[in-house]
Amino acid sequence: MRVMGIIFANDVAVDALTEKRAMASLPFGSRYRQVDFHLSNLAAAGIHHVGIVSRSNYQSMMNHVGSGEEWGLELEDGGLEFLTPFALGNDDRYRGKLENLHAVLDFLKFAHDEYVVLTDSSIITNLDVADIVKSHIDSGKDITVVVKSGVANGKKVLDLALKMEGQQITDIVVSYPAPEDYLASMDLFVVRRDWLIQKVTEFVAHDKYHMDRDLVLGQWNAGTISINVYRHEGVALYNESTAEYFANSMALLNKDIRDDIFNAHHPIYTKVRDRVPTYYGEDCEIENCLIADGCVLDGEVEDSVLFRDVVVEKGAEVENCVLMNKAFIGEGSELKYVILDKDVTISAGTKLIGTPSAPIIIKRGETV
Amino acid sequence: MNFQKKRTIAMLLAGGQGSRLHVLTRKTAKPAVPFGGKYRIIDFPLSNCVNSGIDTVGILTQYQPLELNEYIGNGQPWGLNKSRSCAQVLPPYERNDKKSGWYEGTANAIYKNIDFVDRFDPEYVVVLSGDHIYKMDYSAMVEYHIANKAACTIAVREVPLAEASRFGILNTNPDNSIYEFEEKPAKPKSTNASMGIYCFDWKVLRDALIADEADPNSSKDFGKNIIPNLLNAGFKMMAYRFDGYWKDVGTIDSLWEANMELLGKNPEFEIRGEKDKIYARNSALPSSYIDEDAKICGAFVAEGCEVYGTVKHSIISVGCTIGEGALVEDSVVMPGVVIEAGAIVRHAILGEDSRVCKNAVVGGAFAEGETKKISVTSKGAVVETVLLPGEMV
Repeated sequence: MRVMGIIFANDVAVDALTEKRAMASLPFGSRYRQVDFHLSNLAAAGIHHVGIVSRSNYQSMMNHVGSGEEWGLELEDGGLEFLTPFALGNDDRYRGKLENLHAVLDFLKFAHDEYVVLTDSSIITNLDVADIVKSHIDSGKDITVVVKSGVANGKKVLDLALKMEGQQITDIVVSYPAPEDYLASMDLFVVRRDWLIQKVTEFVAHDKYHMDRDLVLGQWNAGTISINVYRHEGVALYNESTAEYFANSMALLNKDIRDDIFNAHHPIYTKVRDRVPTYYGEDCEIENCLIADGCVLDGEVEDSVLFRDVVVEKGAEVENCVLMNKAFIGEGSELKYVILDKDVTISAGTKLIGTPSAPIIIKRGETV
Repeated sequence: MNFQKKRTIAMLLAGGQGSRLHVLTRKTAKPAVPFGGKYRIIDFPLSNCVNSGIDTVGILTQYQPLELNEYIGNGQPWGLNKSRSCAQVLPPYERNDKKSGWYEGTANAIYKNIDFVDRFDPEYVVVLSGDHIYKMDYSAMVEYHIANKAACTIAVREVPLAEASRFGILNTNPDNSIYEFEEKPAKPKSTNASMGIYCFDWKVLRDALIADEADPNSSKDFGKNIIPNLLNAGFKMMAYRFDGYWKDVGTIDSLWEANMELLGKNPEFEIRGEKDKIYARNSALPSSYIDEDAKICGAFVAEGCEVYGTVKHSIISVGCTIGEGALVEDSVVMPGVVIEAGAIVRHAILGEDSRVCKNAVVGGAFAEGETKKISVTSKGAVVETVLLPGEMV
């Protein structure tokens, strides 16, 4: 049984962090990019044929993923394919995944795999894809939808959510702030490849393009689809807004969440960047932080997530911040609730204070 | 099969037992001994090769090679797995001629791999050893060798006169040509110590290796035989002066010192920076977590660690746990070590995956002027209660 994977890079900008990059290449978790989690989940299931669907802003992601060798994808047969706008045809309107899949139908048609795992890039999780595929096959259903309880809260707008009574689905909603008793979709589906090709062709022919609304909800309403629901019991961090991204970054400071996401038996791989270990200076004070290699820390850092090569000078105070690669925090500056994108320089004595729900974002390469 | 012709290749002697590292090399070849938090000793000569544009490296292994072989793998971390480059592990093997069997000395190891070198038909062969920490551009040495029309060039550095009798000493003319070589002289005439880094014309070395094999009294060693023989035969030999950081980490004390010399704002040995980067095989571990009760000062902490206790002036390697209330001071903690809550570790080298149990004490503090005795744990060792200063387990 052969399985292929398709990762949607989700290049619709959410906010300043994804303005110039796809969600897939958004840095997360002190040394990763979002796509690393999905590639690693697929790799752990022995999936060696993966396509990444991306319409724009894909350069940093291609640079990051490269030949895919970190995930065992540098193969002649199968391996990794970037399904970029050239492969996606001339139509530059983005309406939905079915249309995207239609544009790369050849990628699906020429594959030799029996099943396809489809996933988005915005949810951070470490899940057992092999078990999900097995559950799909055992169920004999048309589609497997992976869901998570405890996400729906009546406020957060969910792409797709469903309500269950026992083994029965009693309601499905799309793009709706579903109440607490709904299960949120994790935007990960398993289908048969031939079934997917047939559905994509059929739906696009009828100008239907939305995976959740048209394929799942529409067919469920019509009684023409059988759905296998797979509940993920582990952690799932939905990075769909700045506030969520910030809260989820801080969630990694919790050991239980870290141990689940960075399960020792199922590592998360990322592009190797050789850096020296982080140097902790004589007078630094570091409390409750996640810290990557290559940093030089002389100031005070508390409740924060630091990516590679961050410099915190003497007398600087950093609290509740996410500092991406190569952030430079000058002497005596003060940062609270701030997200610094890559290559940001904070001049000595600068004060930046945000709030948990609206952290200040400094864009890539800026000097403050 | 045709191999690409190479102007220069490197042969890295990585087969030594490293017995002066005692328990640290009980199960591991010296070049595979961890260093600096995320490196192994062999990363330094290998990275130097890559940074010097030498893309073909034969690695001669013999003693406890499994871990080293696994670490080198296909040479991918150093970019030596491409179609025009290679990192080839060369263990001894059986064949039906004189080149069969175990390596019996540094020269014999290269002799037994003459066929390997011949495949690349090189002009120059750089011979390196796997027990030094340094950054060096070998290509500058090769250019120097060529410019001086030497048959053999040896890298040298100044050592204090008092220490000179521990080294191979090269006595040179004002033009840096070598007129005399003395292996560990009781009364050294100069302070030019050989760094064990050689550049040879392959034709000259090839003939010298074959000639040396014919001598039944030879100990088949570069320092004892090949170098003196070439000198006596009248070949032009040059000393190449190197004044950068270089450290032989063949003993417990020097290994500990070299690790400590990485620390500080202006360390003795700077391994940071994009220039002459040292590459290592990276583990897929998350970033390190530093707890709110942790205290770290003047220390290196690599990735994949969880620090709850206090770390002072130490190297904490990848994947270590420092428990609540534990203290680690002036120590080298190798990958995967667990130091449980309340334990105290001072002046120690803790071998890979070793464990210091709850409230156990390793090593101790030293009075001013007192000789420091380093406590050492071997790979996987467990200290349940006490490991005295200078003790090994």
